[in-house]
Amino acid sequence: MILKIDMTSDIPIYQQIRNQIVFGVAKGNIKAGDSLPTVRQLANDIGVNPMTVNKAYALLKEEGIILIDRRHGAKISNLGMKGNAFDPDFDQRAELLIAEARMKGASRQDVKMHILNLIDSVYE
Amino acid sequence: MLQSLLLILWLVFGIMAVSGLFYKNHYDNQVLGVTLSPEHAQFPEVEEIVKRFQKACYAVLLLSIGLSLLMLVQMFGAYAEFYMVVLVMVNFFANWFIIHRYQQKLLALKKEKAWTYPRKRVVAVDLNVAKEKGRSSFSAVWSWLFLGLSFGPAVFLMLYPESQAFYPIGFSLIGPLCQLGPIYLYYQMRTRHTPALSDNTEINKACARTEERVNTMAATLSALALLTFWILLNISIVYLKNGLAVALAAFILVVALLIIANWQQGKIRAVENRFFGAISAGGGDIFETGSTWKWGCYYNPSDYRIIVPKRMASMGWTLNIGRPAGKAIGLGMLVSLLVLTGIIGAVLYGGSKDYRITANGPAIMIDAAMYDLTLEKDQVVSVSTIDDIPAGIRTNGYGGVNKSFGHFAIDGYGKCMLYVYNQVDKYIVLQLAGNDPGYVIVNDKSPEKTEQLYQTIRQWLDE
Repeated sequence: MILKIDMTSDIPIYQQIRNQIVFGVAKGNIKAGDSLPTVRQLANDIGVNPMTVNKAYALLKEEGIILIDRRHGAKISNLGMKGNAFDPDFDQRAELLIAEARMKGASRQDVKMHILNLIDSVYE
Repeated sequence: MLQSLLLILWLVFGIMAVSGLFYKNHYDNQVLGVTLSPEHAQFPEVEEIVKRFQKACYAVLLLSIGLSLLMLVQMFGAYAEFYMVVLVMVNFFANWFIIHRYQQKLLALKKEKAWTYPRKRVVAVDLNVAKEKGRSSFSAVWSWLFLGLSFGPAVFLMLYPESQAFYPIGFSLIGPLCQLGPIYLYYQMRTRHTPALSDNTEINKACARTEERVNTMAATLSALALLTFWILLNISIVYLKNGLAVALAAFILVVALLIIANWQQGKIRAVENRFFGAISAGGGDIFETGSTWKWGCYYNPSDYRIIVPKRMASMGWTLNIGRPAGKAIGLGMLVSLLVLTGIIGAVLYGGSKDYRITANGPAIMIDAAMYDLTLEKDQVVSVSTIDDIPAGIRTNGYGGVNKSFGHFAIDGYGKCMLYVYNQVDKYIVLQLAGNDPGYVIVNDKSPEKTEQLYQTIRQWLDE
């Protein structure tokens, strides 16, 4: 799996790492049990401070997407693939995005089409 | 001495010319620090600018060498060290000027042709490649072994303490300290980012493995070159006692480092072309580097690295002045540079200032920059003249083309203080009661004036 980190983006680098690993797991590019590089290896390869990668891994661990083992490093966990997909947080975030689209003048039909395209890109 | 200075000058001019000529190569999607895709870099207009830049580099080199030969003329030779510093400054400025001028030409052409590249800097990392980092590198044992061997001169001084008379043990630790540089470089090279341009992870892995091997080997060879220089330098100080041999050792180091850098650069280019072919030729992960460079320094507050590769990675490392720590280190380096300039200024001042030797009651005072000396009458055992000073070595002092003063170790005399004009073949030797220093050797600007000074000292002693 290839991570593409935009060094000039306003989105924090740790957030970009976390988001792309979530995308990778969702699309099946990395599967439960697959190991991740160590914090130092990944930080050196991206060219960032190890604390940045550490923060991303801590976030992923908190969300149950990865497991961190002292001996074997970080691994993708299947815990993140279980649980309630549509929790109140999901609804709140999705609702907010739809509200923002409507505020900018998108019609109901436009929003539906756009979301369907996004769904296709994730479930391809 | 003058020949050694000339050799050092030519070495500096050569390094500057070769650095400029390296800079013109298309590497890391840049030519002369201007972002250009491989396709655009092959345009005839670009090639013409590069060709003219190359000619300008050679012209500056030849002109600098020609001007340096003026040091052989008596009028310039009298101020050889000062003239040398001026020439080096002029050469630096000329090289900077031609790089800047041709950079502007390339930027104008880029604007005219409307060649634009993404301003976003996206780093692509293959997770499977990152996991393998450090597994294909050339063994680190060699770099550590070279560090161990660089302690050789220190061990020699401990085994033969008499050598410490002219070679302080502290100096012998400079080598190991410098040898830590290539070790740092080795670990930087081992974890260096490798492009992940292919969707096929196996191709990315194969490229990363080869690049890691090449980069770590280049760092190890640099360590070997530095160790060779250090050993040759010590041999020339301890056994040969010849300034030319020291300059030759420096020449070998510089040439070796340039060959290694050229080899590493060419090899990495070939590896990327072999594995990524068309993707690499199309610019790969090209982005506009101009956006991250300010006042000739790397400036990227969102990049957490403090030490980053230069625009041409193989040219070394630079600071990210966009980060607070980078700013602090940069400021520290600037202050150090100013202090160093001050020291060089003081040395040059010392080199141009005449000695003043005055008898004042029971004491004789020698006024020389940084190495003033006062001798009491009862300290002086005898005074005599000689026509030649035996071979020796400067331990802490100034050794220029025209003057030598400070602490020296002279064969047959031991520890001496010298205040002499090198071109005058007549010296006054004052033997002292102690042995640190055991002798003070002085003279004046001509044999006649030296004779007068000798009579003055004799008279002072007899009073």
